[in-house]
Amino acid sequence: MSSRNLASIALLAVVALATGFVLAGQVKAQLLTPSNQVARYQALVRSVQELEAANADSRRQIASLRGKIDSLESQAAAQSAATQTLRNEVADLRAHAGLVAMHGPGVEVSLRNGVPGPDIGNQTGYLVNFEDVQDVVNLLFAQGAEGMAVNGRRITPLSAFSGSAGEVVIDQGPPLTSPIKVVAVGDRNRMQAALDDPSALPGVRARQVQFQVHLTFEGSPDVSLPAYDSSLQIPHVSPT
Amino acid sequence: MIALLVALVATIQIRSQAEVERSLIGADATSLAFLIDDLHRANDSLADEKSDLGKQRAQLESGQAGAADQVLTDEANRLRAIEGLAPVHGPGVVIVIDASGLTALDLQDALNNLAAGGAEAVDVNGRRVIMGVPVYQTSGGVTIDSAIVMPPWTISVIGDANRLGVVADLMTQQLRADRRVRAATYRVEADVMIRSVLTEKPFVYAVAS
Repeated sequence: MSSRNLASIALLAVVALATGFVLAGQVKAQLLTPSNQVARYQALVRSVQELEAANADSRRQIASLRGKIDSLESQAAAQSAATQTLRNEVADLRAHAGLVAMHGPGVEVSLRNGVPGPDIGNQTGYLVNFEDVQDVVNLLFAQGAEGMAVNGRRITPLSAFSGSAGEVVIDQGPPLTSPIKVVAVGDRNRMQAALDDPSALPGVRARQVQFQVHLTFEGSPDVSLPAYDSSLQIPHVSPT
Repeated sequence: MIALLVALVATIQIRSQAEVERSLIGADATSLAFLIDDLHRANDSLADEKSDLGKQRAQLESGQAGAADQVLTDEANRLRAIEGLAPVHGPGVVIVIDASGLTALDLQDALNNLAAGGAEAVDVNGRRVIMGVPVYQTSGGVTIDSAIVMPPWTISVIGDANRLGVVADLMTQQLRADRRVRAATYRVEADVMIRSVLTEKPFVYAVAS
């Protein structure tokens, strides 16, 4: 083998080695970074799941505590007419606050995500958002709804809606996503007529056309609402 | 051989990035961080509720004379405040919005923002507002519980004054950018008085289960 051949082989080896290092660097830089991102993302998802589990557990405990308190109040009321009168008053107030399960004639409104459209300026327009739910709830209350629940979450006098694209947060609940079902007890004919009105719910109706967001509703002779199972605290309010 | 190696690495690289993108669909890390923050606050609130309910149960179980009456009286007073049936006071904010052309949807959004910011009692121009009180658009203007509320709107809110102050600041900033709004201001107050009350409405259709 001539010295020229040896030099060629050595040069090829150096080039191959350099290419190997470059490729290894590339793999390290571009494969490890995404894997770190995935790990961080998974950690965040785990945190959300743990917090949601704790949230659901707290709701169960609150419902159970309210049940026990009701039972103890019932026992006390059985021994005193004055206590019974007070208990009746509180029962009525609890019913109006959403703390008691109820049923009656009403409507069920369904909201579902549409399909993404080409509109760059409104990339999440196809998603059902908290304003849509807020608008439906306000419309039904304006038509005399006496109680309401959204995906099984009872609406109370202090309820609020928030969230980001496609997520609907009601009070202390974990976010809800499409499909969303709003159930209301009240005058179903009046509520159905309001939902039928093409001028009502302009935000949803515009996106029905643009993104095929679904809005459907149905009257029923008997719909059920669960009791509220979360916090109803007013620590800053004092009676005058 | 080198070309084969390059192709292999490139393939691995492309597949890996596709996997990452698939796993990130739905929510980015920032959204998840906000969600975690919200869930922490929600769970703290639920913990407070559990604690209060635990105290009520303990009081009822104590068997002391008048314990049930006291629990029921406290509960009635609390619920009457929540349902807007009693005058109340406490720390909070007062927002004044002078505008022409604002609609019921604008007022509903403002009230919802305040509720999400921890409002515990609200009054607009002397009308008590809770979730469920109809805020409606008519040809004569915005009505609350069938009464027209003419601008300027003075919204009195009781709750955590710090939290409500942040919400009011953001709200008034956004409102001032709206052409329909002549002025939007707020002030934080140590004691906001709300004297307006709602009238109890008996259920016509609903039956307790």
